[in-house]
Amino acid sequence: MMGEKWDAGELGCGELLIELAGRMKSLVPGQVFELRALDPGAEEDLPAWCRLTGHSLVSAQHPVYLIRRREN
Amino acid sequence: MPGSFCVSLTCSKDNTDKATVAFVVANAAVASDKDTMVFLSIEGVRLSQKGYADDIHEADFSPLKELIDNFVKAGGKIYVCSPCFKKRALGEDKLIAGATIVGGAKLVEFLSGGSPCVSY
Repeated sequence: MMGEKWDAGELGCGELLIELAGRMKSLVPGQVFELRALDPGAEEDLPAWCRLTGHSLVSAQHPVYLIRRREN
Repeated sequence: MPGSFCVSLTCSKDNTDKATVAFVVANAAVASDKDTMVFLSIEGVRLSQKGYADDIHEADFSPLKELIDNFVKAGGKIYVCSPCFKKRALGEDKLIAGATIVGGAKLVEFLSGGSPCVSY
């Protein structure tokens, strides 16, 4: 189930994550979010963030990331 | 993944770079579902005052006020060192949303629970 998308541009680190976390909350469980993040730190940060939060990283082809919202 | 995270910040306008990065990292922690606390001490306590951070904006970062507001809105807590606050004669009536004046025991309790802490 594809859902929302967001172009985060050059945002990175906590500035990216706090906005991303809010957007993920608005999705229904299982919905996939498409994120475009140009920040070079995103390649390491987004997999780590998904491990921390329980969201699933479906695909990571920098700068485009597909993240499936967790069940709860 | 539950857990907590502490960011200790001792700077404000004496080092706006450190103050900004501290809140960026705090935002990363709270956005990662960590029970997150920013502990303001020494010069950092000035950031607890309404309006103080309004003109702090490091290049290539969001304005500090926006970082602080986002942190609090996401559920982050700001603890303010009581003796540092009193020494600088700051105003309790000017505390920003989400800020609480605490003594050292609150920090010790938080960290004794096993919380990691990064200091700026």
